Parts: sequence; structure tokens; C-alpha cells
Amino acid sequence: MTRSPTESAWRIGILFSSTGTTAVIEKSQRNGVLLAISEINEAGGVNGRQIEPVAYDPGSVPTEYGRLAERLIAEDGVSVIIGCYMSSARKQVLPVIERRNTLFFYPTLYEGFEYSPNVIYGGATPNQNSVPLAIYLMENYGTNFYFVGSDYIYPRESNRVMRNIVRQGGGTVVGERYFPIDASAEDIQAVLEDIAAKQPDVIFSTVVGEGTVNLYRAYHAAGNDARRVPIASLTTNEAEILEIGPEAAAGHITAAPYFRTIRSSENDRFLASYTRRFGSSLAVTSCCEAAYFQTHMFAQALGRTNSLDTVQLREKLLGATFEAPQGTVKIDPDNNHTYLQSRIAKVNDAGEFMVERELIRPIKPDPYLVNPDLNDRNFKLMVTASADTQQMAVPSSAERRQG
Amino acid sequence: MTDLINDLRSLNVLVLHRRDADCDDLVQQISRIGCNVETAWPPPETLPANVDVVFVEIKESVPVGMQKLFQDSALNRPTLIGIIGYENPSVLLGLLDLNVQTVVSKPLRAFGVMSSILMARRIWVQRREDLANLEKLRLKLENVQIVTEAKFILMRHHGINESEAYKVIRTHAMSRRTSTIEIANAIINADGLLNNFQLKK
Repeated sequence: MTRSPTESAWRIGILFSSTGTTAVIEKSQRNGVLLAISEINEAGGVNGRQIEPVAYDPGSVPTEYGRLAERLIAEDGVSVIIGCYMSSARKQVLPVIERRNTLFFYPTLYEGFEYSPNVIYGGATPNQNSVPLAIYLMENYGTNFYFVGSDYIYPRESNRVMRNIVRQGGGTVVGERYFPIDASAEDIQAVLEDIAAKQPDVIFSTVVGEGTVNLYRAYHAAGNDARRVPIASLTTNEAEILEIGPEAAAGHITAAPYFRTIRSSENDRFLASYTRRFGSSLAVTSCCEAAYFQTHMFAQALGRTNSLDTVQLREKLLGATFEAPQGTVKIDPDNNHTYLQSRIAKVNDAGEFMVERELIRPIKPDPYLVNPDLNDRNFKLMVTASADTQQMAVPSSAERRQG
Repeated sequence: MTDLINDLRSLNVLVLHRRDADCDDLVQQISRIGCNVETAWPPPETLPANVDVVFVEIKESVPVGMQKLFQDSALNRPTLIGIIGYENPSVLLGLLDLNVQTVVSKPLRAFGVMSSILMARRIWVQRREDLANLEKLRLKLENVQIVTEAKFILMRHHGINESEAYKVIRTHAMSRRTSTIEIANAIINADGLLNNFQLKK
């Protein structure tokens, strides 16, 4: 009996939007998955069988993610899915994959307070990026914060965490505004006027999707200087900075596990491979990198189980490590989240994120941490940012320690 | 009430359940949340010190030892959360007998454990506050009754009105640096004694 190539392939479902408000970031995540799959297939597949992606476009509509997850499992016979950016989309997929006992990879930072045995979480939880960012901002810009965000669960929860850290550091939140995910120019204008009135030292933005580009551009157009009062974010990424343009983007800050400018042999290889397949690596984001390394970790586990059985795969995934472009990552067997690097980068005049600070070792994910401690020993390590992974580091790490 | 959320991680949790897959799932989720968690099976004769929350499996009959463990009022007892695998009347009766604050059901899901702990904790804290308030009110009512009785004695013996009687009690309390309750009690005791003398004559 001979099997057709499709029958003998390992199938994996992909749920990222290529249309709608979060299409820019989700397209970069889908590319990350497709890149990893083509690398694996070019190297001979997994145990001699190719990986075959089955992708749908949920159009950035949360309920569509749930419907399409059901379709992937019921009609396409898929038992492993990777996808979702917004928490609202993940919440739609969750009951489906739990009921069907499917394995689900979620390569996006989110607000925490979740654990499902069926999910492997590849993005940062607040304890992995909020505290280092807050410390950096208070040291370098001041303690008066202004919060602006899209109106859904992630921004509200991020701001709750951030507000707590800022207060611990003796700072104040001088204003807090939310606007709809499909914010209009007037919505943004109103917030900018409020910012001008409140005169914060730094703006913490949890705006996601298209609103991000409009916010940064409008902020620049209103004559604000990002070098003096930057917008700091956990979500604003390379793809969005590219769209904003270097002039309006320069000086703003983002905290993430990965930036495309970090120097390591894994990252060089990743970017070269990405460029070969997609033409340019300018829009590579940390969420793309997470999608990329999660797909590789899936293939690694699959190579050991030689089966798509959820329970067997999970056994091999928990505790697994991988040399990702960001550095070593490890899936925490305690909570299915991932030990990640933590970096803070500023956009330079050429519109590239340059890493300013980073922690020495990956941070353990702590998805149920209600209020991170500003004085947590784990976060203090960041002052000694190492120079070896930093491109164009003008002062050496030793000099920076002294200064 | 937001303190309840902030304090979740400082809770000491005890799980009284057989060491099986359900128990492991529950213990892992509690430690993911960040609480200190221990298990004990079979149930110990006395609860370890400093336990704030106890998860306890409740089946169709609650063993006598278990009932003894939790017979104290909410003032002296940790927060109780029942773990149930059935919903029949015998199990429900067990929940009422042990007076649990909330219930989690089997098969256990990680999602929901945190809110169950929080809700149970809130009900327990409120119950304690209510009991303390109730005790305070009971004492106050008792005191009012005592003072009233003392006032009536003074009114009867001296032919004065109620506010004058109260003034007498208060003046005495102030000059002796004591409470009106003590003076009132002294008046009532003295009156009782004097009545006894009269009867023996």
C-alpha cells in the first residue's frame, strides 16, 4: 500500500489573520511558522515525513478563530494548531482545543492568569517584561507616567501591573485613556491633547493593531520629542515601526524578548533564512520569532514521539530547551509558559530597535503573579547589560557599570 | 477587598484528598497561582498551624474525624473548599454539614481554582467580620439592659427621673475612674443584697 504525500505528511493548523486590524503583526507570526516549516522540510522533514501547514484567515474577528479551530480539527483532521494574537481570539479557541484535546501553541505576549494543559505559551507574561521596562523608564525619563491603550483585556491588565510597579517606585500615573481597537483620528487627537495638558515624563502605550501606527505618527506630527518624552510599549514592534517611519519612530522604547538587531549566530541564520524566503527581514518581530521557535520546538518534540498525540507531545515539550534567535528558551514544566530573554530597545534614527539593556539570563514565567516586586533580585541583573549580543554598543558594559 | 487578591499568594493551603491525578492537578494549579500548598491523606487528627485554606474531598458520608477537624466556628477555623465528584443529595448534605465556603468539582480544571479560592476567602472573611460585629452588638445590648435596670433602681429609691438617674451613674463612674457598666452592676448587686436583708428580718 502506498500513501500519497499528503497522507504521509504531518499536518499543523495555522490561525493567523492576514486581513483586519491585527493583520500586520499576525502576518509576521504566520511567516515565522511557514519559515520554520520550510526549514524543517528542506532538512528532510520529521522522521522522513514533511510538515504540511493548513492555514485559515480569521480576519481579526475573535469568534472566527474559534469557528476555524473547530474546522481545522473536525474537517482537516489537524491535532496541533499554532495561532492567535489577541487574548480575545485565544479565549475563543481555548474551549475548542480543550474539548478536542488538541495541542495549541500561542506565540504571543499576553496578560497572564491562564493555564491550560493544552496550550504551550511562547510569549512574555507581565513579570518577564513589565518590571524591567518600568525600572528603565523611571531611571532614564522620570516617574510621571501616562497610560494609553486599546480597550480590551490585555491593555487594562498590563496597566494594572504597571500602575502597581510605578507606585512602588514612588511614581504617579497622571492620566489613563483607552480607545477602541479601530480608533479614529479624533480619538487619538483627544488623547494627545490630554497628554499635552498632563505633561508626563513618559507615555506607556498598550495600543495594538493599526492604532499604534496612527498614535506614533500623530504624536510626532503634534511636535512632540520622543527623545524627551518617549512612548514606551510592550507590543510596538519592527513591523509597526517600519510603517510609522524612522522620523516619527526614533527615540521610542519597546521591551521584548527579541529584537531583530541582536547579534547571535542563531539570529543571523534566522534573518538570512527569512530574507531568502520573504525577500526582506525588516518586518521581523518578537512575535514572529516566537512563532518560529515554537514551530521548531514542536518539530523537535515530534521527532521524538513520532506521533501527533497531544499527551505524548506535551510530555516531550515540557522542560524542552531550544537555541532560539533570542537566545536559549525553555518551556517551564510548571506552567507551560516559556523562560524568555528580557530586553529593552530604543528606536534609532534609522528606524531600527537598538538594545539598551538586557537581563543576563532568561526569566522564569510567572503567569499568576498579581503584583511584581520592583525590588525583585531577578530584575536587578539588567543594569549589567552584556555587550556581546549588542550591536554598535558604544560604551562597553564595564563602562556602563561605572557610569 | 483588593487586598484579598494581593494576599492570595501568601495563603497557606492544605489539600485533603487521595494522591491521585485530580489531586495532582489541583496541587499544581495552586502552586502555579503561587500559594504555599501541602497535601495530607488520610486526614490528620489536627490541622497544622497557620493553615488559611483547606480543600477537602467530600463524599457521601463525612467521617467523624473530618467533622471534628472543622467543627469550630468560622472564627477559629480555616476557609473550607469542598471537592466533589457527585452532586447527589448525600454529597450536598456533606457540603452543608461541613459548612464549606465554596465548591470545586471533579474532573478538576485549572481555570476557576483561583476565583474559587478568592470567593471562599471573601465569604470567610465576611463571616468572621459579621460574627465579630454580632458579638459586639450582643455585648452592647447587654450593657444597655444593665444600665437601664440600675437606672430604675435609683429612680425607685430616690424618686428621681430617668435622666437624673443616668447622671448619678455617670458622675459616680467619672469620679471613680471606672465605666458606667461597673457602677450599674454595683447598684444592681447592692440592691439585691439589701432586698435579701429586708426579707431575713
